[in-house]
Amino acid sequence: MHTCTKLKSEFIKKWMKGLQICCSSKTNMDFLERKKKIKLCADIALASAKNSTTSWCIALISEAKKHDENKTLVDNLLGPELRIKPQKTNHQMSASHKRARSKKILKKSHHVCQRMKKMGPPKSNIATYITKILVKERTQVLKRLVPGGESMDEISLIKEALDYILSLKVQVDVMRTLANATEVLNQSDSTIFD
Amino acid sequence: MLHCHYTTMNIPGNTSGTDVSVLERQQARMKWRQQQQQGLSNDDHCFRGLVEIKPDPGLQYGWPDFSDACQDQLIPPLVADHNLKKRKTHEDHKQKAVSKENGVKDKKIKRCSEENSTETSPKEKPKAVETQKQEYIHVRARRGQATDSHSLAERVRREKISERMKYLQDLVPGCNKITGKAGMLDEIINYVQSLQKQVEFLSMKLATLQPRLDFDIDSLIMKEMFEVPAIGYSSEVANSTYFQVNSLLEMGNSPIDTMLRRSIGGPVSIPETFVVSSCFNQMQPGVTWDGDLHNLYRMEIQQESTTIPFQHKFTGSYEGSNLKMEL
Repeated sequence: MHTCTKLKSEFIKKWMKGLQICCSSKTNMDFLERKKKIKLCADIALASAKNSTTSWCIALISEAKKHDENKTLVDNLLGPELRIKPQKTNHQMSASHKRARSKKILKKSHHVCQRMKKMGPPKSNIATYITKILVKERTQVLKRLVPGGESMDEISLIKEALDYILSLKVQVDVMRTLANATEVLNQSDSTIFD
Repeated sequence: MLHCHYTTMNIPGNTSGTDVSVLERQQARMKWRQQQQQGLSNDDHCFRGLVEIKPDPGLQYGWPDFSDACQDQLIPPLVADHNLKKRKTHEDHKQKAVSKENGVKDKKIKRCSEENSTETSPKEKPKAVETQKQEYIHVRARRGQATDSHSLAERVRREKISERMKYLQDLVPGCNKITGKAGMLDEIINYVQSLQKQVEFLSMKLATLQPRLDFDIDSLIMKEMFEVPAIGYSSEVANSTYFQVNSLLEMGNSPIDTMLRRSIGGPVSIPETFVVSSCFNQMQPGVTWDGDLHNLYRMEIQQESTTIPFQHKFTGSYEGSNLKMEL
Protein backbone atom coordinates (compact mmCIF):
# COMPACT_ATOMS: atom_id res chain seq x y z
CA MET A 1 0.00 0.00 0.00
CA HIS A 2 2.56 2.52 -1.03
CA THR A 3 0.11 5.13 -2.13
CA CYS A 4 -2.33 5.54 0.69
CA THR A 5 -0.12 7.00 3.38
CA LYS A 6 -2.32 10.00 3.90
CA LEU A 7 -5.41 7.89 4.40
CA LYS A 8 -3.50 5.51 6.60
CA SER A 9 -2.18 8.19 8.88
CA GLU A 10 -5.66 9.65 9.25
CA PHE A 11 -7.04 6.25 10.00
CA ILE A 12 -4.49 5.34 12.58
CA LYS A 13 -4.79 8.66 14.35
CA LYS A 14 -8.52 8.34 14.69
CA TRP A 15 -8.27 4.74 15.68
CA MET A 16 -5.86 5.46 18.49
CA LYS A 17 -7.99 8.36 19.64
CA GLY A 18 -11.05 6.15 19.73
CA LEU A 19 -9.24 3.48 21.66
CA GLN A 20 -8.04 5.99 24.20
CA ILE A 21 -11.60 7.16 24.72
CA CYS A 22 -12.69 3.55 25.13
CA CYS A 23 -10.12 2.61 27.69
CA SER A 24 -10.65 5.76 29.67
CA SER A 25 -14.29 4.83 30.17
CA LYS A 26 -13.79 1.25 31.33
CA THR A 27 -10.76 -0.15 33.04
CA ASN A 28 -11.14 -3.90 32.93
CA MET A 29 -12.59 -5.49 29.88
CA ASP A 30 -12.59 -9.10 28.93
CA PHE A 31 -11.21 -10.40 25.71
CA LEU A 32 -14.32 -10.31 23.58
CA GLU A 33 -15.23 -6.85 24.66
CA ARG A 34 -11.79 -5.64 23.83
CA LYS A 35 -11.95 -7.22 20.45
CA LYS A 36 -15.29 -5.64 19.74
CA LYS A 37 -14.07 -2.23 20.76
CA ILE A 38 -10.99 -2.51 18.65
CA LYS A 39 -12.97 -3.51 15.62
CA LEU A 40 -15.59 -0.87 16.13
CA CYS A 41 -13.04 1.86 16.54
CA ALA A 42 -11.24 0.67 13.47
CA ASP A 43 -14.39 0.68 11.36
CA ILE A 44 -15.51 4.09 12.45
CA ALA A 45 -12.05 5.51 12.10
CA LEU A 46 -11.84 4.20 8.58
CA ALA A 47 -15.21 5.52 7.58
CA SER A 48 -14.49 8.95 8.93
CA ALA A 49 -10.92 9.08 7.70
CA LYS A 50 -12.08 8.66 4.16
CA ASN A 51 -13.87 11.97 4.40
CA SER A 52 -16.07 11.14 1.48
CA THR A 53 -19.75 10.88 0.95
CA THR A 54 -19.94 7.32 -0.25
CA SER A 55 -22.94 5.62 1.12
CA TRP A 56 -21.15 2.74 2.80
CA CYS A 57 -19.32 5.23 5.03
CA ILE A 58 -22.53 6.87 6.04
CA ALA A 59 -24.25 3.54 6.55
CA LEU A 60 -21.46 2.26 8.80
CA ILE A 61 -21.54 5.33 10.96
CA SER A 62 -25.30 5.43 11.27
CA GLU A 63 -25.32 1.73 12.05
CA ALA A 64 -22.86 2.28 14.86
CA LYS A 65 -24.82 5.20 16.22
CA LYS A 66 -27.91 3.10 16.66
CA HIS A 67 -26.48 1.57 19.80
CA ASP A 68 -26.55 4.11 22.56
CA GLU A 69 -23.32 3.04 24.14
CA ASN A 70 -21.36 3.87 21.07
CA LYS A 71 -22.92 7.22 20.50
CA THR A 72 -20.54 9.31 22.55
CA LEU A 73 -17.58 7.52 21.12
CA VAL A 74 -18.72 8.12 17.60
CA ASP A 75 -19.49 11.74 18.19
CA ASN A 76 -16.11 12.41 19.71
CA LEU A 77 -14.35 10.67 16.92
CA LEU A 78 -16.17 12.24 14.10
CA GLY A 79 -15.71 15.81 15.06
CA PRO A 80 -18.15 18.65 14.55
CA GLU A 81 -18.41 18.70 10.76
CA LEU A 82 -19.58 15.18 10.34
CA ARG A 83 -22.08 15.16 13.14
CA ILE A 84 -24.74 16.74 11.01
CA LYS A 85 -24.51 14.05 8.39
CA PRO A 86 -26.16 11.15 10.21
CA GLN A 87 -29.36 13.12 10.69
CA LYS A 88 -29.69 13.78 7.03
CA THR A 89 -28.83 10.26 6.15
CA ASN A 90 -31.41 8.79 8.49
CA HIS A 91 -34.00 10.59 6.47
CA GLN A 92 -32.35 9.42 3.29
CA MET A 93 -32.19 5.90 4.55
CA SER A 94 -35.85 5.80 5.47
CA ALA A 95 -36.80 7.24 2.12
CA SER A 96 -34.64 4.75 0.34
CA HIS A 97 -36.07 1.94 2.46
CA LYS A 98 -39.51 2.93 1.37
CA ARG A 99 -38.36 3.01 -2.19
CA ALA A 100 -36.76 -0.37 -1.78
CA ARG A 101 -39.92 -1.83 -0.30
CA SER A 102 -42.11 -0.51 -3.04
CA LYS A 103 -39.62 -1.72 -5.60
CA LYS A 104 -39.74 -5.16 -4.03
CA ILE A 105 -43.49 -5.29 -4.22
CA LEU A 106 -43.41 -4.22 -7.84
CA LYS A 107 -40.76 -6.76 -8.63
CA LYS A 108 -42.68 -9.57 -7.00
CA SER A 109 -45.81 -8.84 -8.92
CA HIS A 110 -43.77 -8.49 -12.07
CA HIS A 111 -42.13 -11.83 -11.41
CA VAL A 112 -45.46 -13.51 -10.95
CA CYS A 113 -46.72 -12.10 -14.23
CA GLN A 114 -43.57 -13.13 -15.99
CA ARG A 115 -43.76 -16.61 -14.63
CA MET A 116 -47.28 -16.99 -15.93
CA LYS A 117 -46.08 -15.97 -19.35
CA LYS A 118 -42.85 -17.86 -19.17
CA MET A 119 -44.43 -21.27 -18.83
CA GLY A 120 -44.10 -21.60 -22.56
CA PRO A 121 -40.48 -21.52 -23.78
CA PRO A 122 -38.22 -20.67 -20.88
CA LYS A 123 -35.98 -23.66 -21.32
CA SER A 124 -35.10 -22.79 -24.86
CA ASN A 125 -31.96 -21.05 -23.68
CA ILE A 126 -31.09 -22.65 -20.40
CA ALA A 127 -27.65 -21.15 -20.10
CA THR A 128 -28.75 -17.52 -20.08
CA TYR A 129 -31.63 -18.38 -17.79
CA ILE A 130 -29.30 -19.94 -15.26
CA THR A 131 -26.82 -17.09 -15.57
CA LYS A 132 -29.52 -14.57 -14.84
CA ILE A 133 -30.57 -16.41 -11.72
CA LEU A 134 -26.99 -16.71 -10.54
CA VAL A 135 -26.29 -13.04 -11.11
CA LYS A 136 -29.41 -12.08 -9.20
CA GLU A 137 -28.51 -14.30 -6.29
CA ARG A 138 -25.01 -12.97 -6.11
CA THR A 139 -26.01 -9.33 -6.26
CA GLN A 140 -28.27 -10.08 -3.32
CA VAL A 141 -25.37 -11.48 -1.36
CA LEU A 142 -23.17 -8.53 -2.25
CA LYS A 143 -25.87 -6.16 -1.12
CA ARG A 144 -25.81 -7.80 2.25
CA LEU A 145 -22.05 -7.65 2.51
CA VAL A 146 -21.46 -4.03 1.63
CA PRO A 147 -22.82 -1.80 4.38
CA GLY A 148 -25.75 0.21 3.16
CA GLY A 149 -26.03 -1.82 0.02
CA GLU A 150 -29.62 -2.91 0.43
CA SER A 151 -31.13 0.06 -1.25
CA MET A 152 -28.93 0.54 -4.26
CA ASP A 153 -29.24 -0.33 -7.87
CA GLU A 154 -26.67 -2.50 -9.57
CA ILE A 155 -24.47 0.20 -11.01
CA SER A 156 -23.94 2.15 -7.82
CA LEU A 157 -23.63 -1.10 -5.89
CA ILE A 158 -20.57 -2.04 -7.87
CA LYS A 159 -19.11 1.41 -7.39
CA GLU A 160 -19.64 1.21 -3.65
CA ALA A 161 -18.13 -2.26 -3.55
CA LEU A 162 -15.04 -0.92 -5.29
CA ASP A 163 -14.61 1.84 -2.76
CA TYR A 164 -15.28 -0.51 0.10
CA ILE A 165 -12.70 -3.01 -1.08
CA LEU A 166 -10.06 -0.30 -1.31
CA SER A 167 -10.67 0.91 2.20
CA LEU A 168 -10.84 -2.60 3.61
CA LYS A 169 -7.43 -3.25 2.10
CA VAL A 170 -6.06 -0.17 3.84
CA GLN A 171 -7.60 -1.22 7.12
CA VAL A 172 -6.22 -4.73 6.94
CA ASP A 173 -2.79 -3.46 6.08
CA VAL A 174 -2.58 -1.02 8.95
CA MET A 175 -3.95 -3.48 11.46
CA ARG A 176 -1.56 -6.13 10.34
CA THR A 177 1.42 -3.81 10.66
CA LEU A 178 0.36 -2.77 14.13
CA ALA A 179 -0.17 -6.35 15.20
CA ASN A 180 3.24 -7.36 13.94
CA ALA A 181 4.93 -4.41 15.58
CA THR A 182 3.26 -5.19 18.90
CA GLU A 183 4.27 -8.79 18.56
CA VAL A 184 7.87 -7.89 17.93
CA LEU A 185 7.76 -5.52 20.84
CA ASN A 186 6.38 -8.13 23.16
CA GLN A 187 8.93 -10.65 22.03
CA SER A 188 11.78 -8.27 22.59
CA ASP A 189 10.33 -7.41 25.99
CA SER A 190 10.22 -11.05 26.95
CA THR A 191 13.78 -11.64 25.80
CA ILE A 192 14.93 -8.71 27.88
CA PHE A 193 13.30 -10.15 30.96
CA ASP A 194 14.89 -13.53 30.35
CA MET B 1 -33.56 17.37 -63.94
CA LEU B 2 -32.23 15.28 -66.73
CA HIS B 3 -29.25 17.48 -67.30
CA CYS B 4 -28.09 16.71 -63.82
CA HIS B 5 -27.61 13.17 -64.89
CA TYR B 6 -25.33 14.29 -67.66
CA THR B 7 -23.21 16.26 -65.25
CA THR B 8 -22.85 13.29 -63.03
CA MET B 9 -21.90 11.06 -65.88
CA ASN B 10 -19.25 13.54 -66.88
CA ILE B 11 -17.31 13.26 -63.69
CA PRO B 12 -14.75 10.73 -64.68
CA GLY B 13 -12.46 10.73 -61.70
CA ASN B 14 -15.04 9.85 -59.13
CA THR B 15 -16.77 7.14 -61.02
CA SER B 16 -13.74 5.41 -62.35
CA GLY B 17 -13.81 2.25 -60.36
CA THR B 18 -17.40 2.40 -59.30
CA ASP B 19 -19.51 2.72 -62.37
CA VAL B 20 -21.83 -0.06 -61.54
CA SER B 21 -22.81 1.18 -58.13
CA VAL B 22 -23.22 4.73 -59.33
CA LEU B 23 -25.55 3.56 -62.02
CA GLU B 24 -27.48 1.60 -59.48
CA ARG B 25 -27.84 4.61 -57.31
CA GLN B 26 -28.91 6.77 -60.16
CA GLN B 27 -31.48 4.27 -61.17
CA ALA B 28 -32.81 4.18 -57.67
CA ARG B 29 -33.03 7.91 -57.60
CA MET B 30 -34.74 8.01 -60.95
CA LYS B 31 -37.34 5.63 -59.69
CA TRP B 32 -37.83 7.70 -56.62
CA ARG B 33 -38.21 10.88 -58.54
CA GLN B 34 -40.67 9.27 -60.86
CA GLN B 35 -42.70 8.18 -57.97
CA GLN B 36 -42.57 11.64 -56.56
CA GLN B 37 -43.87 13.00 -59.79
CA GLN B 38 -46.58 10.43 -59.87
CA GLY B 39 -47.51 11.43 -56.36
CA LEU B 40 -46.73 8.12 -54.75
CA SER B 41 -45.38 8.36 -51.33
CA ASN B 42 -43.96 4.96 -51.04
CA ASP B 43 -41.74 5.24 -48.04
CA ASP B 44 -39.89 2.03 -48.49
CA HIS B 45 -38.64 2.95 -51.89
CA CYS B 46 -37.26 6.32 -51.14
CA PHE B 47 -35.62 5.15 -48.03
CA ARG B 48 -34.25 2.16 -49.75
CA GLY B 49 -32.40 4.52 -51.99
CA LEU B 50 -31.23 6.62 -49.10
CA VAL B 51 -30.32 3.71 -46.96
CA GLU B 52 -28.09 2.31 -49.61
CA ILE B 53 -25.84 5.27 -49.49
CA LYS B 54 -25.66 5.95 -45.81
CA PRO B 55 -26.96 3.42 -43.36
CA ASP B 56 -27.22 5.75 -40.46
CA PRO B 57 -30.47 5.22 -38.65
CA GLY B 58 -32.05 7.52 -36.25
CA LEU B 59 -30.07 10.68 -35.93
CA GLN B 60 -30.53 13.96 -37.59
CA TYR B 61 -27.07 15.33 -37.67
CA GLY B 62 -25.91 12.45 -39.77
CA TRP B 63 -27.88 13.56 -42.74
CA PRO B 64 -26.45 16.97 -43.49
CA ASP B 65 -23.12 15.30 -44.11
CA PHE B 66 -24.76 13.08 -46.58
CA SER B 67 -26.37 15.88 -48.45
CA ASP B 68 -23.24 17.97 -48.53
CA ALA B 69 -21.08 15.17 -49.77
CA CYS B 70 -23.53 14.07 -52.35
CA GLN B 71 -24.00 17.51 -53.66
CA ASP B 72 -20.47 17.31 -54.84
CA GLN B 73 -21.07 14.38 -57.01
CA LEU B 74 -24.43 12.89 -57.62
CA ILE B 75 -27.48 14.55 -56.26
CA PRO B 76 -28.38 18.04 -57.27
CA PRO B 77 -29.55 20.34 -54.50
CA LEU B 78 -33.20 19.89 -55.34
CA VAL B 79 -33.14 16.23 -54.69
CA ALA B 80 -31.15 16.69 -51.50
CA ASP B 81 -33.77 19.05 -50.16
CA HIS B 82 -36.42 16.59 -51.01
CA ASN B 83 -34.53 13.94 -49.16
CA LEU B 84 -34.26 16.04 -46.06
CA LYS B 85 -37.87 17.10 -46.10
CA LYS B 86 -39.07 13.63 -46.66
CA ARG B 87 -36.94 12.34 -43.85
CA LYS B 88 -38.10 14.90 -41.37
CA THR B 89 -41.73 14.09 -41.87
CA HIS B 90 -41.37 10.36 -41.82
CA GLU B 91 -38.91 9.66 -39.07
CA ASP B 92 -40.85 6.85 -37.45
CA HIS B 93 -41.38 5.07 -40.68
CA LYS B 94 -37.77 5.49 -41.52
CA GLN B 95 -36.64 3.83 -38.35
CA LYS B 96 -38.74 0.82 -39.04
CA ALA B 97 -37.76 0.71 -42.64
CA VAL B 98 -34.14 1.13 -41.84
CA SER B 99 -34.14 -1.56 -39.25
CA LYS B 100 -35.80 -3.89 -41.69
CA GLU B 101 -33.55 -2.95 -44.50
CA ASN B 102 -30.45 -3.18 -42.42
CA GLY B 103 -30.79 -6.87 -41.95
CA VAL B 104 -31.57 -7.54 -45.55
CA LYS B 105 -29.24 -5.17 -47.29
CA ASP B 106 -26.10 -5.49 -45.31
CA LYS B 107 -23.92 -6.49 -48.19
CA LYS B 108 -25.07 -3.68 -50.39
CA ILE B 109 -24.58 -1.20 -47.65
CA LYS B 110 -21.08 -2.36 -47.01
CA ARG B 111 -20.13 -2.04 -50.60
CA CYS B 112 -21.62 1.39 -50.92
CA SER B 113 -19.98 2.64 -47.80
CA GLU B 114 -16.62 1.39 -48.95
CA GLU B 115 -17.05 3.19 -52.19
CA ASN B 116 -18.14 6.28 -50.43
CA SER B 117 -15.08 6.31 -48.32
CA THR B 118 -12.86 6.10 -51.32
CA GLU B 119 -14.74 8.73 -53.22
CA THR B 120 -15.30 11.40 -50.67
CA SER B 121 -13.66 12.80 -47.63
CA PRO B 122 -13.97 10.31 -44.79
CA LYS B 123 -17.52 10.10 -43.59
CA GLU B 124 -18.43 8.88 -40.17
CA LYS B 125 -19.27 5.25 -40.07
CA PRO B 126 -22.09 4.38 -37.75
CA LYS B 127 -20.76 3.42 -34.39
CA ALA B 128 -21.87 3.81 -30.84
CA VAL B 129 -20.90 7.26 -29.73
CA GLU B 130 -21.84 8.65 -26.38
CA THR B 131 -21.84 12.39 -26.13
CA GLN B 132 -23.31 14.14 -23.18
CA LYS B 133 -25.24 17.25 -23.92
CA GLN B 134 -26.94 18.86 -20.98
CA GLU B 135 -28.43 15.92 -19.17
CA TYR B 136 -29.16 13.59 -22.01
CA ILE B 137 -26.93 10.84 -23.21
CA HIS B 138 -26.95 10.68 -26.99
CA VAL B 139 -26.21 7.23 -28.17
CA ARG B 140 -25.90 6.32 -31.76
CA ALA B 141 -27.34 2.96 -32.60
CA ARG B 142 -24.91 0.44 -33.93
CA ARG B 143 -25.20 -0.99 -37.33
CA GLY B 144 -27.54 -3.93 -37.48
CA GLN B 145 -29.05 -3.29 -34.07
CA ALA B 146 -32.43 -2.12 -32.93
CA THR B 147 -33.02 1.56 -32.61
CA ASP B 148 -35.65 1.28 -29.94
CA SER B 149 -35.12 3.75 -27.16
CA HIS B 150 -35.51 1.05 -24.54
CA SER B 151 -32.81 -1.09 -25.99
CA LEU B 152 -30.51 1.87 -26.33
CA ALA B 153 -30.94 2.71 -22.67
CA GLU B 154 -30.33 -0.91 -21.83
CA ARG B 155 -27.14 -0.90 -23.78
CA VAL B 156 -25.89 2.23 -22.01
CA ARG B 157 -26.61 0.61 -18.68
CA ARG B 158 -24.85 -2.56 -19.67
CA GLU B 159 -21.80 -0.66 -20.82
CA LYS B 160 -21.60 1.17 -17.54
CA ILE B 161 -21.75 -2.07 -15.64
CA SER B 162 -19.09 -3.73 -17.74
CA GLU B 163 -16.83 -0.71 -17.35
CA ARG B 164 -17.09 -0.92 -13.59
CA MET B 165 -16.52 -4.65 -13.73
CA LYS B 166 -13.23 -3.97 -15.44
CA TYR B 167 -12.09 -1.75 -12.59
CA LEU B 168 -13.05 -4.45 -10.16
CA GLN B 169 -11.06 -6.94 -12.16
CA ASP B 170 -7.96 -4.89 -11.57
CA LEU B 171 -8.65 -4.62 -7.88
CA VAL B 172 -9.49 -8.18 -7.04
CA PRO B 173 -6.51 -10.48 -7.50
CA GLY B 174 -6.94 -13.45 -9.72
CA CYS B 175 -9.85 -12.11 -11.67
CA ASN B 176 -8.17 -11.73 -15.00
CA LYS B 177 -9.28 -15.02 -16.42
CA ILE B 178 -12.92 -14.78 -15.51
CA THR B 179 -15.10 -12.95 -17.96
CA GLY B 180 -18.71 -13.67 -17.06
CA LYS B 181 -20.70 -11.43 -14.77
CA ALA B 182 -21.71 -14.21 -12.42
CA GLY B 183 -18.15 -15.44 -11.96
CA MET B 184 -16.87 -11.94 -11.38
CA LEU B 185 -19.51 -11.28 -8.76
CA ASP B 186 -18.58 -14.53 -7.06
CA GLU B 187 -14.93 -13.52 -6.85
CA ILE B 188 -15.83 -10.10 -5.52
CA ILE B 189 -18.01 -11.59 -2.83
CA ASN B 190 -15.30 -14.00 -1.78
CA TYR B 191 -12.75 -11.24 -1.63
CA VAL B 192 -14.91 -8.91 0.45
CA GLN B 193 -15.74 -11.75 2.81
CA SER B 194 -12.09 -12.68 3.20
CA LEU B 195 -11.11 -9.07 3.89
CA GLN B 196 -13.79 -8.73 6.51
CA LYS B 197 -12.66 -11.95 8.16
CA GLN B 198 -9.10 -10.70 8.18
CA VAL B 199 -10.20 -7.57 10.00
CA GLU B 200 -11.96 -9.71 12.58
CA PHE B 201 -8.96 -11.92 13.05
CA LEU B 202 -6.55 -9.03 13.34
CA SER B 203 -8.67 -7.28 15.92
CA MET B 204 -8.73 -10.52 17.90
CA LYS B 205 -4.98 -10.77 17.65
CA LEU B 206 -4.55 -7.22 18.83
CA ALA B 207 -6.89 -7.86 21.73
CA THR B 208 -4.76 -10.80 22.86
CA LEU B 209 -1.48 -9.00 22.41
CA GLN B 210 -2.46 -6.02 24.46
CA PRO B 211 -3.95 -6.61 27.90
CA ARG B 212 -5.20 -3.04 28.02
CA LEU B 213 -6.41 -1.06 25.09
CA ASP B 214 -3.67 1.48 25.07
CA PHE B 215 -1.38 0.92 22.19
CA ASP B 216 1.63 2.85 23.09
CA ILE B 217 2.85 4.03 19.77
CA ASP B 218 5.61 6.09 21.23
CA SER B 219 7.21 3.19 22.96
CA LEU B 220 6.71 1.00 19.94
CA ILE B 221 8.74 3.26 17.80
CA MET B 222 11.38 3.98 20.36
CA LYS B 223 12.01 0.28 20.75
CA GLU B 224 12.39 -0.13 17.05
CA MET B 225 14.78 2.75 16.90
CA PHE B 226 17.03 1.28 19.53
CA GLU B 227 17.43 -1.94 17.70
CA VAL B 228 19.31 -0.17 14.95
CA PRO B 229 22.52 1.76 15.34
CA ALA B 230 21.42 5.25 16.14
CA ILE B 231 21.27 7.74 13.33
CA GLY B 232 20.42 11.39 13.78
CA TYR B 233 16.92 10.43 12.72
CA SER B 234 15.99 8.87 16.02
CA SER B 235 16.33 12.10 17.97
CA GLU B 236 13.89 13.82 15.61
CA VAL B 237 11.45 11.00 15.99
CA ALA B 238 11.14 11.44 19.70
CA ASN B 239 9.55 14.84 19.30
CA SER B 240 6.18 14.88 17.56
CA THR B 241 3.54 12.22 17.70
CA TYR B 242 2.47 12.85 14.14
CA PHE B 243 5.95 12.13 12.95
CA GLN B 244 5.95 8.97 14.97
CA VAL B 245 2.72 7.88 13.49
CA ASN B 246 4.11 8.58 10.09
CA SER B 247 7.21 6.59 10.69
CA LEU B 248 5.18 3.69 11.97
CA LEU B 249 3.30 3.71 8.72
CA GLU B 250 6.47 3.91 6.76
CA MET B 251 7.70 0.94 8.65
CA GLY B 252 4.75 -0.86 7.20
CA ASN B 253 5.15 0.60 3.77
CA SER B 254 8.84 0.44 3.26
CA PRO B 255 9.11 -3.33 3.33
CA ILE B 256 7.57 -3.09 -0.09
CA ASP B 257 10.09 -0.49 -1.14
CA THR B 258 13.05 -2.36 0.22
CA MET B 259 11.87 -5.45 -1.49
CA LEU B 260 11.57 -3.61 -4.73
CA ARG B 261 15.00 -2.18 -4.43
CA ARG B 262 16.76 -5.28 -3.38
CA SER B 263 14.53 -7.42 -5.55
CA ILE B 264 14.02 -9.96 -2.87
CA GLY B 265 12.33 -12.79 -4.60
CA GLY B 266 11.21 -15.99 -3.00
CA PRO B 267 7.98 -16.14 -1.10
CA VAL B 268 6.87 -12.62 -1.79
CA SER B 269 4.81 -12.47 -4.93
CA ILE B 270 4.92 -8.83 -5.86
CA PRO B 271 5.44 -8.50 -9.59
CA GLU B 272 8.14 -6.31 -11.09
CA THR B 273 5.62 -4.10 -12.78
CA PHE B 274 4.38 -3.00 -9.38
CA VAL B 275 6.28 0.26 -9.60
CA VAL B 276 5.08 1.17 -13.05
CA SER B 277 1.50 0.04 -13.10
CA SER B 278 -1.47 1.92 -11.70
CA CYS B 279 -2.30 1.59 -8.04
CA PHE B 280 -5.22 -0.70 -8.72
CA ASN B 281 -2.91 -3.48 -9.66
CA GLN B 282 -1.85 -4.08 -6.12
CA MET B 283 -1.45 -7.61 -4.93
CA GLN B 284 -1.99 -8.76 -1.40
CA PRO B 285 1.25 -10.42 -0.39
CA GLY B 286 -0.55 -12.48 2.20
CA VAL B 287 0.80 -14.31 5.15
CA THR B 288 4.19 -15.03 3.65
CA TRP B 289 5.16 -11.44 4.38
CA ASP B 290 5.25 -11.81 8.08
CA GLY B 291 8.37 -13.93 8.06
CA ASP B 292 10.37 -11.31 6.24
CA LEU B 293 9.13 -8.39 8.25
CA HIS B 294 11.43 -8.97 11.19
CA ASN B 295 14.54 -8.81 9.06
CA LEU B 296 13.28 -5.86 7.15
CA TYR B 297 12.51 -3.74 10.19
CA ARG B 298 16.22 -3.36 10.74
CA MET B 299 17.05 -2.56 7.18
CA GLU B 300 14.31 -0.16 6.51
CA ILE B 301 15.32 2.51 8.98
CA GLN B 302 18.48 3.15 7.01
CA GLN B 303 16.47 3.70 3.91
CA GLU B 304 13.91 5.95 5.53
CA SER B 305 15.20 9.10 3.90
CA THR B 306 15.26 7.56 0.47
CA THR B 307 11.79 6.12 0.67
CA ILE B 308 10.10 9.41 1.36
CA PRO B 309 10.58 10.98 -2.08
CA PHE B 310 9.65 7.62 -3.58
CA GLN B 311 6.34 7.66 -1.84
CA HIS B 312 5.56 11.23 -2.73
CA LYS B 313 5.62 10.28 -6.37
CA PHE B 314 3.08 7.60 -5.76
CA THR B 315 0.69 9.66 -3.72
CA GLY B 316 0.39 11.94 -6.69
CA SER B 317 -0.49 9.18 -9.05
CA TYR B 318 -2.85 7.58 -6.56
CA GLU B 319 -4.77 10.78 -6.08
CA GLY B 320 -5.02 11.17 -9.81
CA SER B 321 -6.33 7.73 -10.44
CA ASN B 322 -8.55 8.00 -7.42
CA LEU B 323 -10.17 11.04 -8.97
CA LYS B 324 -10.75 9.07 -12.12
CA MET B 325 -12.39 6.34 -10.13
CA GLU B 326 -14.76 8.63 -8.36
CA LEU B 327 -16.20 9.76 -11.63
